[in-house]
Amino acid sequence: MIVGEQKSISEIKTIIAPYKRILIMGCGTCVKTCFAGGEDEVAVLASSLRLACKKDGKEIYIEEFTVERQCEDEFIQEGAPAITRNESVLSLACGAGVQALARRFVKTPVLPGVNTTFIGVLEKQGVFTEECAGCGDCKLAIFGGICPVTRCAKKLLNGPCGGSQNGKCEVNPETDCAWQMIIERLNILGQMENLRVYVPPKNWQTSLSGGPRKMVREDHMI
Amino acid sequence: MTKDFKPKITLFHCINAFGDADEFALDDKNTCEIHTVKMPCSSMVKDVFLLRAFEAGADGVIVMVCPEGQCRYLEGNIRAKKRVAWVQHLLDEIGLDGRRLFLDNMASGDIATVNQTMENVLKNLAVIGPNPAV
Repeated sequence: MIVGEQKSISEIKTIIAPYKRILIMGCGTCVKTCFAGGEDEVAVLASSLRLACKKDGKEIYIEEFTVERQCEDEFIQEGAPAITRNESVLSLACGAGVQALARRFVKTPVLPGVNTTFIGVLEKQGVFTEECAGCGDCKLAIFGGICPVTRCAKKLLNGPCGGSQNGKCEVNPETDCAWQMIIERLNILGQMENLRVYVPPKNWQTSLSGGPRKMVREDHMI
Repeated sequence: MTKDFKPKITLFHCINAFGDADEFALDDKNTCEIHTVKMPCSSMVKDVFLLRAFEAGADGVIVMVCPEGQCRYLEGNIRAKKRVAWVQHLLDEIGLDGRRLFLDNMASGDIATVNQTMENVLKNLAVIGPNPAV
């Protein structure tokens, strides 16, 4: 899932300052799971902003609405009446959700309320970790399902650096060494011979370094 | 702050900590106005409910939970404690002052703790003053 973090109240107050009628729009998919932009977070933010504005003597009207998925037109449409009733939309979705709204509602300012952080997993309750860099050329089959591009601080593709201690990364001792995990996992899978496979230098053109990416599926186009 | 400031207090309490606020005669008409909200467990106290209490005009909000290790549902009071800390942080960020929100542990029927908490809360609110967002 995409992991995000809600912006601070002070930053959000600055962003919404020019507007008096605001719709806070949540997204019920990724950002809900990481407690940044689901229905509950929309309610808390709305309440916080109402209190903050009242304290500052600023008149404001805040409406709340959460769609199932903000990055798809089909779901966004449900929010159309609420969007047209307000001067601007404060989106609690990831950057894709904000831009999908902005594309669909050209004349309404769409403002970000969340910092999109990374693609990750829920490691344990309340802890999210980055697991995928979206590099566009996945080699997880060789690495036993553990990505050194994302999880090794040095992005090494052909074995460990030798600097890890007790299974922890020398760059950040709180991070598990990706290569230690890869080797342990390959051992469990009986695929230690994968370590002999030479992985050539990565072609980063498939990543964001090659500019914004586009995927076309002709078979699904109408 | 005016001398005749009579704080409005919303008290969220776990029914296992005490069944009914009235039995403690908490609402001292001369010093404060209390609105109580009973919960089957303090873990029901969500952040938005605490904020809405302030939106509804409360000058202070108290959350009364069972002592740690004695929650009927094992960790409800721990969850409540974490949520209260989170909302205190939000109140500070908003500029409302996190000290308006209090959490106290009390054993079932321990009226002395309730009275002590009320005394501390009223003392604090006398310093902080009324809710500026009303």
